[in-house]
Amino acid sequence: MGTVASYSRAVKCQSRCADGSSRVYYSSIGMVLALLVLTCSPATSRALAQVELTWSPSMVKGAAGAPVTIVEFSDYQ
Amino acid sequence: MLEEYDGRVRLVFKDRPLAMHTLARPAHEAARCAGAAGKYWPYHDRLFAAQPAFRRADLLAYAGELGLDRDAFAKCLDERRFASDVERDIEQAQALGINSTPTFLINGQLVIGATSLEEFRSIIDKALQERR
Repeated sequence: MGTVASYSRAVKCQSRCADGSSRVYYSSIGMVLALLVLTCSPATSRALAQVELTWSPSMVKGAAGAPVTIVEFSDYQ
Repeated sequence: MLEEYDGRVRLVFKDRPLAMHTLARPAHEAARCAGAAGKYWPYHDRLFAAQPAFRRADLLAYAGELGLDRDAFAKCLDERRFASDVERDIEQAQALGINSTPTFLINGQLVIGATSLEEFRSIIDKALQERR
């Protein structure tokens, strides 16, 4: 386990908040939706804990100093 | 794609076996056993080619095909030597809200699901520009 990188949980919001549909609050679930929107606002995102990713060197392909890192989460099945 | 962006892109594989896929977790652990013997990527490719044939006998057979020591591989698999490493990947994925596969992070940008090469190129090119 030789490598560590840190990723913000804000990435989660890029997909969940993309369509803006959760910005309507008319029902009893409005509070839940409001919380979701607040969670996804940029200011709040910055306050969220970073998620440290670790990986084994054997599970990496490509140059160690490459400026772009693609992390693929996948399932063999 | 790694060849196309030679030296500028690297790929990190992270284990995200889904709970509904009961044979997936042993396969992920087996791949790590192969990795410990220096054959991670050949075994990884073999698993994707063979899915979903991931019974113990299958996993051992793939190791044999790649010239791995079958006894040592079986011991690694049966001891579940890398179970905690696979579990750590799952926990990290869950912490990021990643619950489907494949999911990619390209310099931190989330890309969910199978994506066209063109889309990948676009995101990678943008990431490269941002690093200049």
